[in-house]
This record gives sequence, structure tokens and C-alpha cells, in this order.
Amino acid sequence: MVNTIKLNTGASVKDYNKVSDWLSFETPDKILISSGKVDIGQHISTTLALISSRELEVDINSITVKKLNTDVTPNEGITASSLSVPNSGTAIRSASIIFKKSFLDYASKSLNLNKNNLKLDNGVVKDPDSNASMSYWDFSKTDEFLKLIIPENIEIFDQTNIDHDLHVETKFINSIVKGEYKFLHDLKFDDMLHARIIRPPSYSHKFLSIDDKVNKYLNDHNLELYIKNSFIAVLGVDEYEVIKSLNFLKNSIEWEQINKLANDKIFNLIDQNEKDSLVVKRGGEAFHEDVPEIKSFDDNYKTITTEFNKPYLMHGSIGPSASCSIYKNGKFEIYSHSQAIYALKSILTNAFNLNENNITLHFMPGAGCYGHNGADDVTYEAALLSKEFENKHVLLKWTREDENCWEPYGSASKNKLTATLDDKNRIIYWSSEAYSDTYLTRPMVNKLENFVSQRFLNNDFKKYKASPRTGAHMGIHRNLDPIYNFKETRLVKNLVHDLPLRTSALRTLGAFANTTATETFMDELSIEANIDPFEFRINHLDDERAIDLLNDLKMHMEKDNPLENSYRGIAFSRYKNSASYCAVGVELIVTDNVEIELQRAWITVDAGEIAFKEGIEAQVEGGFIQAASWSLYEQVDFDNNEILSKDWDNYKIIEFDNIPLIKTSVINRVGYPYLGVGEAVAGPTGASISNAIRRALGERIKTMPFSQESIKKQLLG
Amino acid sequence: MVDGLQGNLIMSKSEYNITVNGETKSVVITEDKPLLYVIRDDFNLTGTKLGCGLEQCGSCAVLVDGNKVLSCNRPAVEFVDKEITTIEGIAKNDVLNEIQQSFKKFNAAQCGYCTSGIIVSLTDLFNKRNHLIEKKL
Repeated sequence: MVNTIKLNTGASVKDYNKVSDWLSFETPDKILISSGKVDIGQHISTTLALISSRELEVDINSITVKKLNTDVTPNEGITASSLSVPNSGTAIRSASIIFKKSFLDYASKSLNLNKNNLKLDNGVVKDPDSNASMSYWDFSKTDEFLKLIIPENIEIFDQTNIDHDLHVETKFINSIVKGEYKFLHDLKFDDMLHARIIRPPSYSHKFLSIDDKVNKYLNDHNLELYIKNSFIAVLGVDEYEVIKSLNFLKNSIEWEQINKLANDKIFNLIDQNEKDSLVVKRGGEAFHEDVPEIKSFDDNYKTITTEFNKPYLMHGSIGPSASCSIYKNGKFEIYSHSQAIYALKSILTNAFNLNENNITLHFMPGAGCYGHNGADDVTYEAALLSKEFENKHVLLKWTREDENCWEPYGSASKNKLTATLDDKNRIIYWSSEAYSDTYLTRPMVNKLENFVSQRFLNNDFKKYKASPRTGAHMGIHRNLDPIYNFKETRLVKNLVHDLPLRTSALRTLGAFANTTATETFMDELSIEANIDPFEFRINHLDDERAIDLLNDLKMHMEKDNPLENSYRGIAFSRYKNSASYCAVGVELIVTDNVEIELQRAWITVDAGEIAFKEGIEAQVEGGFIQAASWSLYEQVDFDNNEILSKDWDNYKIIEFDNIPLIKTSVINRVGYPYLGVGEAVAGPTGASISNAIRRALGERIKTMPFSQESIKKQLLG
Repeated sequence: MVDGLQGNLIMSKSEYNITVNGETKSVVITEDKPLLYVIRDDFNLTGTKLGCGLEQCGSCAVLVDGNKVLSCNRPAVEFVDKEITTIEGIAKNDVLNEIQQSFKKFNAAQCGYCTSGIIVSLTDLFNKRNHLIEKKL
């Protein structure tokens, strides 16, 4: 029996409610999907094609996702916050359902056949008697197709019988393994100039002078220099000549340092500096209200406190940011791997005082990055240079040092927690405070200062003050509101000002720190209460899906006998309390020399109805590895004058030898909305690693990274 | 190497024969031009990637006479008369090698930027392993 379920067609359909906004039909046998979400390696192209192929009952290989450019694809905002499948996936699913239903009605009328007797075969129905046929491609040429509207709610068929374990080849894997997949970095045009930026030593160095000998060098090497105030770029036809010139040119420039980068250690600055403190309420919104004192309880209750510190983290993309732009006949044609293609179009239209018809942005893949790295900055810089060198394509690539030192980092942060247990070991009071710089400095119209080069272009070295966002689960207070049913909570978001390094969105924003803080403290409290960590969490949960998730993780972990000398830790969360649920268990060994060796990991995820199982697994397993790397190794180092983490020797990340065996279990919730899955695993990973180390050492390590050097330092006080 | 470069020195270009994926080309380059740029610019093969330019990340790995070499710094002139194989030359007659097949089978790439380097490195490792097994037998 086929059940039908009501589905809300989602946020993207509100702006684009025509089926033809999402689907187009090319002959022969080719269907094109339009999406405003960019494929940054999260397999969105495959997921969307799979969703549509199931509803249209066609082979996935006949579906292609249209190349995204701002002239032709729907503006679905930024590709961020784990919303690609919930928004684009739901829109394309709805469009496909409406299309098929309308096609069958149309075909039945045209062929004069009973609708119930129509057999659909790869987008074609045939009249067995007359051999007359009608196809999706025929229907797409009719006016009826162009009139098809997606309503706010539709009925979907229960897809219980889909075999999600069947292997689906991802869209680009064949060309990737052969080295044929084209990245932005690989663009070539006959008129192309390669460019690099000559960066000063830090954010606040002003250009003073350049040695005259530079002119001869530039002439001899067929290079051009562009200087505007303190923004300096070198351009040339031969990429290697451009790269080679960087050291010479850097050494020929005199800079003046306007401000020191930092004057104290980061966690001291977080404590000392001016802050905006807001009260966060259940539901996750922040309010400008007086922050209450932490409540105290009498001696009949057990009250404990803790804190958790996280350093600055970088996106660490393996390929530095790049962009290509040409300005010709008053028009820009720009290639970018930004997640904010549409926002960039508006910003650049405004910045260059253009008519919006005179600028087109094409998305082209860059190296993977989840969040706001240098992709937007480099696009602005390439556009600017191409305007100066008209009629030529300018391909600007950041260097490794640019990428490491000039991207906006995930902020360093601090969490302070207090909780009180009653005599039945129930948490009756929970206070949690998050302290951090902003996670939201993505470029915006009229906020060009968010581009890193703007200060040098204008010699404007003042620090702009961020203002706290108040929406539910925005940056700093993402997942500060715990999913648990604590009787009383005190939640405070502190936006700390005047911290030294540039910050913005890094995968999960504040949720990595807040979930790690919450879930390590839950573990600490379970130890205090002497209750099994699964049971202790479940005792404080009403959400059935969360309880199912923990039970599933427990079952999988119990199937595997613990390895000798190993310790286990668990943690879970629901990202933003509204996206995917994810629970993580890890097993690790702490060596005599206090090195952490990850042995095994178990992940259980509930992302609603499964759209693409291998895609979900790739997202959570990749996310686990990234978060394990943050937890164990990563930290942006800097001194009073400059950032020191200039390359991979000075910014350690996880290597293959410490990636554990990962077992992932995906719970399928047929008929439930798709939930974003890209970020759910990070917080539980950090916390489960911390919890396993706590059980190994008998002591909580409160500051990341949990590297050998850092653990030794913390153990010795 | 960029480090230690004498900036005011003009290097003259000369002609060298370089062989990539079985094709020999005469390229006119300065003697310091790293192999990576010759592969990408002169042979138009862009599967080999620039990741750091510091021989740290491995995105630029290629095989030289069957052995892994990081191509982002070492001058191309070192590799005259050698057989260079890039990611594009690993599949023979369009048949993927065992590493490529395995990557494909498990959809083992997200963005794929570093995948060429990983496949080349693993091909080197497996070639050596196979060689050792043969030796033992």
C-alpha cells in the first residue's frame, strides 16, 4: 500500500514557485535541474539529481545540475548553515512531483487513455494500441508546463521501499579520479594575466615606499605592479614569474606598523576586553536584557563548574582561494568559488556602481571549504584588478601564506558553565556562558570593510565593531540552548570586542564550542552522579528522536568489544536544535607520552528522510575528521606583530595515521523533512574525544587542542 | 625555490625535452621553473595541483620513472630524459588503475582538489608493495 504524506515545499519555493524555475527538459533524454546552492564537495549535485530521479522515475544519469551563474539559476542565498538539501532538495522534489502528476494528466487527455493505465517508462508513456506516445520532453514544450506552480504544501508518496544501500556514483567522481575535473584554478584564456597580492606583514601595516630598482625588475620580467594606497598587486602573463617576484617585491617595500596585532594572550583578552552580554532564552534567541547573577543553592545540592577554551581555527582549505574576472565594454564576467555568489553580485554591483545587468558571476569549484574563507575576498580583489587592466582576464590566486594568514578564522572562544544536581541526580539548574568574537563578517552591501583588502585600499586601519546578532542560534550562541529538559537555565552570549584576529563563519560557527562545552559538562556531571553517560543524558531528554539516537549509538558501540588500554567517550547534539541529530562515540588510547591515538569511532545520524545515504555518510565522516583535527591539533599561532601559522609546518592538522575506523549508522525517518547534515557531527566529535581523554587521564583537559604539548602543559598546571 | 631567489637576476630561457605521459615536448623555460608549471602550462595538464608550493601538502605529486616526486619546487630541468606520469597518465587506454577504481567505487572525494595527489602517492606505494611481493616470491 502506498501512503501519502503532506510536505511543506519550503523556503526556496516562496521565491521561485514555478516548476520551470527548477526543471528544464533538453532533448534527447536530458533533464536539467536548476539550483542556487553551490557544490562545494558536499555532493549536493548528486543528491538533487537523485531526489528528482526518484520522483520523475528516470535514470539519475539523465539528470544534470545546471552550472550556477547569477543570470540563470534561482537565488537561494548563501550555501551555508546546512540548508542545501532542506531548501533546494525540497524545492526540486516538489517541482518533480508536480511535473510528473501534471504530465500524467496531460498525457492521459492527449492520448485519450485512462490515467490509471498509463505506464511511465523513463519519461515516456505509450498507447499500446495505437503506439502513440507522449514524453516529458513533449510536455515541457507546452504552455501548460510553463504555467505549473508549486503550492505551499503538497502530498508526497511514502518512499519506504527505496533501497538506500544501493550504490550511487557521485556526479564528478569519474572525472576527479582521472584528473580531468576542472577547478577555477585551472582556467585558461588567451588574454589572461596571472596575479598575486603583495601582502604587508599584518592587518595594520601602511605602505610607505618602494625601492626604485623594482622598475627594472618588472621590465625585465614582463610584470606589472598595481599600487593603490597600501594595496599592492603584481601581474604578468607567466604565472611562475609572478610567483617568483613576490619575495623580491616584498623585500623592496617599506611598511609602517600602525597597530600591534596583540598585547596579551588570547584567553586573557577574552576575559578582559569590553563585551556585549545578551540573555539567550529557550528556543535559542538572544535578548538585550540584564544578565542575572548565577544562582546559588544550599549544601543539600551539588553544584559544579567548569570552563572550556578553544583557540582560533582556520578553514585550512588544501587549495588557496582564487578568482578570475574580466571587465570588458563596461561589463564584468567573474568566476568565483564563493558560497555567497548572489550576495557577491549585489555587493560588487554596488561597489563598482554598476547596473546589475552588467555583472555576471559564475560559480566554479575551488578546493573544499565549509564557511567564509578567502573566496569572497579574492573575488573582490580579482574584480578590482580586472577593472584596472580592462579587456583581460585576471586570474588571481592567493598563496598558501595568504590563505593561512589573511582568511577570517573561526573565533577563539571560552565557555563557562555551572550546574546543580538535586538528590536524585537530576540537573535542576544550568548556567552556560559563551564568550567569543563574531562569526558573521561575510561581505555585505555597504560593508566593504568586510573585505580584507578594503583597509589597504583606503588606508583605513580602524577596527570596526561587530554588533551582536539576536536570531535563534545565530553565531556565538548557536547550540548554547541545550536540548535537555533542565528545569532552569541561565544562558548568556558575550560578544567580545577588540580581539586581535579577523574572524567569520567557520563550519558550525559557535556550535562546535558550545556543544563541546555542554556535552563535556554533561559527562562531568554523569561522573559526579556516578551514572552511565547514556543513561544520564536520556534521564534529561523528552525528545524521542534524541533518545532513539543515543540508544542506536549505544547498541553499535556495545557490538564491538573495547580494545586493550583504550577509553571511550560519547556525546550528541541536534545541530541548531532544528537540523540533524548526531551522536558520536570514540575509542582512543593515551600513550605514555600523552599522545592521543584515535582507534575507532561510531556515528549515528538522523537527518530526517534519507535523500542520499552515501552523501550523508560522507558529510558526517568528513565532518568527524575535520572536528577531530580541530580537537587534537589545530591552533592559529600569532605574536604581537604577525600571524605565525603561515604554512602546514606551522599549522598542524590531522594526518592519515590518526584517522580511526569509522562506523556510521543512518536512521531513516520516512516522510519527515530533510534535515541539513553538514555540520551536525562537529560538536559531538569534540566532546566525545574530550570525554574519552577525561576517562583515560582522570582529569579534564579544558583547552583545545588536545595535543601532546598542550596536554602536558595543562596537566602540569 | 622562491626562497633565496636573487630578484634582480634575469634568467635566460633555454630549450629542454620533457616527457610527460609518453609525450615528449621541447619546452623553452628558465632553468628554475618548477616541473609543476611546465606540466600545467606547457603540457596543458591541470590535474596536478598547486596546494602550497612548499612540498608540504602533496597535491602536486607526480611519478618520475615510477617514483613519487613533489613537483611544485623542483626544477623541470632535473627531469629531462625521465618518464613523468601525471594523474592523467595513470589510467592506461582509459582503464583506471586499481587505486582509481577504488576511489570511484567508494565515491572517495569531496571537492576532489587533493585527490590527484593522493591517487598518485598511493599508486607509488602500491607499485612498491607489488614489487616487494614479487621479490619475495
